[in-house]
Amino acid sequence: MIPRFTLHRPRTLEDAFAAFERSGGDVAWIAGGTELLQVMKMGLAQFGTLIDVKAIPDLHGLERSPDGGLRIGAGTTHRLVERSSIVREHVPGLAALEAGVANVRVRNTGTIGGNLAFAEPHSDPATFLLACAASVELASPRGRRTLTIAEFMLGPLWTAREEDELVLAVHLPGVDRAVGRAYAKIAFFERPSASVAVRLAIHDGAITDVTVAVGSLTEVPTLVAAAASALDGAVARSDAVEDRVRAAHGAFDDLDVMPDLNGSADYKRHLAGVLLGRAAQLALTEAMVHA
Amino acid sequence: MPETMDLDLTINAQRRSMRIEARETLAEVLRDGLGLTGTKISCDAQVCGACTVLVDDLAVSACTYLAIDADGRSVRTVEGLATNGRLSPLQQAFIDNAGFQCGFCTPGMLMAATALLEEDPDPTREAVIHGLEGNLCYAQIIDAVLAAAASGREPVR
Repeated sequence: MIPRFTLHRPRTLEDAFAAFERSGGDVAWIAGGTELLQVMKMGLAQFGTLIDVKAIPDLHGLERSPDGGLRIGAGTTHRLVERSSIVREHVPGLAALEAGVANVRVRNTGTIGGNLAFAEPHSDPATFLLACAASVELASPRGRRTLTIAEFMLGPLWTAREEDELVLAVHLPGVDRAVGRAYAKIAFFERPSASVAVRLAIHDGAITDVTVAVGSLTEVPTLVAAAASALDGAVARSDAVEDRVRAAHGAFDDLDVMPDLNGSADYKRHLAGVLLGRAAQLALTEAMVHA
Repeated sequence: MPETMDLDLTINAQRRSMRIEARETLAEVLRDGLGLTGTKISCDAQVCGACTVLVDDLAVSACTYLAIDADGRSVRTVEGLATNGRLSPLQQAFIDNAGFQCGFCTPGMLMAATALLEEDPDPTREAVIHGLEGNLCYAQIIDAVLAAAASGREPVR
């Protein structure tokens, strides 16, 4: 059984912070519980108090922001992101990614904010959001602040979030029309072994403004400038992208890759090269629709 | 004396009220508290799907779902699929299509497939495979689910 804890279910941020303050530090936030309950069951973590944040309205909602981007409440489940018509229309790569997170039961309960706060190196959303220059909005009794994904993700299971801070929302910046943002992964069962996210734009028939992020290879999702510059300037055509990807096989050589049960560091670098091609083609297709 | 909380919910269309500890999972309450042992616990880590139940029509892993989160909600388990002694079309399709071997995963498979067919009554083979890939088994269940969907398009025999 899960070790005993006292559960609070506040309905406002003020009540949540007050409950945190009263707990004396032996406390954790909980939303979907897909990660936290697991580590508690396994005896890897124990808390005298859990504060369930699911009923706090500030953590919900999914809407377009004034700059044309998206604000996704941290308490939004993967399934709601996957099925959101706004996400499907404006960031189809994110909807597709969310449809492939873990399994349907995890997607029905796990939240996008909880996923980022847990900072699993194999997180699907974190890698994609890094490539999209997304940011995370945090709240604490001291106020609110916004960090980029790169500033937020510090290491495996380690973020810049202070203990009493809550992830409120994820912000995706608005983009020009001819932009594509896509994600490709290879997973043996549910856990990605390697993943690549590509963000690119098309300008005057050429690919420009490229960002590439890898996940599952390194301790945190990482931007790979060499892979991005390999695509930059290519003619906005599938065969041209294929040629560039083929010539970019060394783009992941400088990464400090963690080997795992799915393969050696070199094998995972190879996978990243294959996934770069897949994600780039998907991003190109999306951008071409608006070019 | 451990701290307890009130839990009021509907299980298979019956209202139930009880006192539980916050740490109790839905699987523990169903199995140990209510004797509804159709819901299985196997991996206990949201990987295998044997504990799949529906909460407000959404498939969840009862092993990693706090029972108190079902407060005020409707829970459906495999025990609620048959009505008046008649198997659901999906249950019948599992029998007709040999959709199980040892049977341990079957309750979770049935609940996951029930949710899938309620959301998409006429799924493609790919949609069934995608929807059930989080439920582990080696039997030919995909065909059974597709047969159940097909039976829903035909007049009742």
